Amino acid sequence: MLILLTFLTNCSGVKKLSIFKEEVKRQELNLEKPTPLQLEQIKWIIITSENADEVFKKMEEQGLDPVLFGLTDNDYQLIAKNFAQIRNQLKITNDLLDKYKEYYEPTPK
Amino acid sequence: MRIYLIGFIILALLGSAGYVIKLQRDNTILKENAVKLEGAISEQKQVIENQKKDFAEILEANKKINELVNNLKKDLDDLDKRFSKKDRDIGKLAIDRTKVIERIINKGSDNATRCIEIASGSPLTEKEKNATKKSEINPECPSIANPSYVSY
Repeated sequence: MLILLTFLTNCSGVKKLSIFKEEVKRQELNLEKPTPLQLEQIKWIIITSENADEVFKKMEEQGLDPVLFGLTDNDYQLIAKNFAQIRNQLKITNDLLDKYKEYYEPTPK
Repeated sequence: MRIYLIGFIILALLGSAGYVIKLQRDNTILKENAVKLEGAISEQKQVIENQKKDFAEILEANKKINELVNNLKKDLDDLDKRFSKKDRDIGKLAIDRTKVIERIINKGSDNATRCIEIASGSPLTEKEKNATKKSEINPECPSIANPSYVSY
């Protein structure tokens, strides 16, 4: 009886605890940032009923086609605001990209 | 009878010795387990610390983006005000002072073009970085073109 008891108690022991931890780091995306824009300068010409002849004459003298693509003063304001909005959106998107990169792919200090 | 008794005692002693050895082995394993658990707890503490750091970073990033959005909105409002300041009619002004307004508009257009370049990631020039006076800034987008400028 005692022998049996001894054998039984020897069989049930404390189990070794194993903790597995394996961290596989995700590959960094490392996409190149788009090249900053380098825009061409454009020249605005204001044409009124009074200076129209003078403007066209000047254009011909400069070898330019005497034609203008016009905007009213109101539409000029709208195009200026539209471009400002596009610029803002571009800046926000660019900064968001930077923040994501900083957060997920921080450069080691 | 005596032999049985001796045999029984020997067996009992052997059993006890085996049990003590087993206890010692269990004790060693328990000690190892305790060390592992302590290690795991310390790692968990590190994970919690890292999470706290991450939350702080997220909050900071959100704050910066919100600031940027507000500053850009202000730039847009300023542009709107420039067109309509004191019932200003840019059309009438252009008729009365054609050359002056043409020059102003071309200057503004160049500035706005530069703003788009900066927004697309173009680095700031030293002049842009150091501009602090109203006469030195890019009035189309001071919030992104002139970091040293404080509106007054």
